Amino acid sequence: MAKDRVDTGRGRRAEVVKKKAKGGSNSKKPFYAGIAVIVLAGIGALAYVSSRPQNAATTVDPNLATATDARGYVLGNPNAPVKVIEFADFECPACAQFATLSEPDIKKRLIDAGIISYTFHDFPLSIHRNTWQASNAAACADEQGKFWEMHDQLFNMQDRWNGQATRNPKAQFESYARALGLNMDQWETCYDARKYEARIKASEALALKSGAGQTPTFVIGTKMVPGSISFDKFKAYVDSALALAPRDSAAKGAAPGDTAAKAAAPAKGS
Amino acid sequence: MTKRMMLAMLALVGVFLSIYLTLYKLGYIGSLQCAVGSCETVNTSRWATFLGLPVAAWGLGFYVSALALSLLGVQEQYEDRRWVSVALTGLTGWGVLFSGWLTYLELFVINAICMWCVISAVIVAIMFAISLADLRDFRAADASQHPAAISEPMADG
Repeated sequence: MAKDRVDTGRGRRAEVVKKKAKGGSNSKKPFYAGIAVIVLAGIGALAYVSSRPQNAATTVDPNLATATDARGYVLGNPNAPVKVIEFADFECPACAQFATLSEPDIKKRLIDAGIISYTFHDFPLSIHRNTWQASNAAACADEQGKFWEMHDQLFNMQDRWNGQATRNPKAQFESYARALGLNMDQWETCYDARKYEARIKASEALALKSGAGQTPTFVIGTKMVPGSISFDKFKAYVDSALALAPRDSAAKGAAPGDTAAKAAAPAKGS
Repeated sequence: MTKRMMLAMLALVGVFLSIYLTLYKLGYIGSLQCAVGSCETVNTSRWATFLGLPVAAWGLGFYVSALALSLLGVQEQYEDRRWVSVALTGLTGWGVLFSGWLTYLELFVINAICMWCVISAVIVAIMFAISLADLRDFRAADASQHPAAISEPMADG
């Protein structure tokens, strides 16, 4: 009999045996209480992050862009009632998502319709290895009047030239430049010389100064909106900016297009 | 608090962490944006899927298995079973290898660090260490079998 008991004890750990001696399942109460606390905290945290408003907009000074020498790339009528700025990184997947899903509608229904002017500012993030080169390639395409075409190419083909795909994106950029019918000698000289480095840096500085913490970030009228957003959301911000626009210009007693025209002029000339 | 209880609690934390990352990857939580040091670059990179499933979903499977195993190991019938510890050590060992590889990718290939992924890697590493310690307790118990056996009759009575 005694021998049997010794056998059942084989391999049993002292720790466990001690626990059992103290009184069975009672000692597990704190454990299950802890499990319950973690479950509640986990569910609470998940509920919180899923209910948190996405892309909360903040109010900013709409004229911040005119205060610096960052000119960006302007699309649409510079005298349009609502000015929109985009801070974007060519290698950012969210920016590519926005450029391919929302931007075509925005171009057709808001920019071409003369409702907004649209200024693209480079915001190359340091986490992306090839994004600066992409900004460089686009700036050199702009020299030949093909910035937006290159912009579309870069976002469409992002997974071919991004930092995960290659360490030397120039060959890819070259093929896009060729497809766009650019003067290749001129483009390549510009690209190798980093001719528009100062222009890209100025846009980056403006992005940092404006407090944009991620890409893409939009300034629509007086609202700063972070993150890739749908056309409908974008349009809603434009509509509220539109509702405010006439009152603003009346209070200032100045034509709303004045400052934007100044900012756009150099971009047009280049 | 036994080591298996600690493992169960850590695994449970991991379950919620990987649910978050999976929902994020599938687009149900948060919005896609690129921010410095954020998870977007990592979770949208081509290494974020493994054998057709999001890496975060594999993590969820891992944590659920570890939770189930350690909860089982806490039950009275299984408290003294060595195979539970062996299985937990094996499972978390794979977890350490897998998250070690992912962390390597983050640091040297993707060049971006996702804080939640790093927290997960740390949890897995701690779980592996605890599993090893748990397994070693059996060895210690085997070595000092007789003292343990002597206290046994009192425990059962």
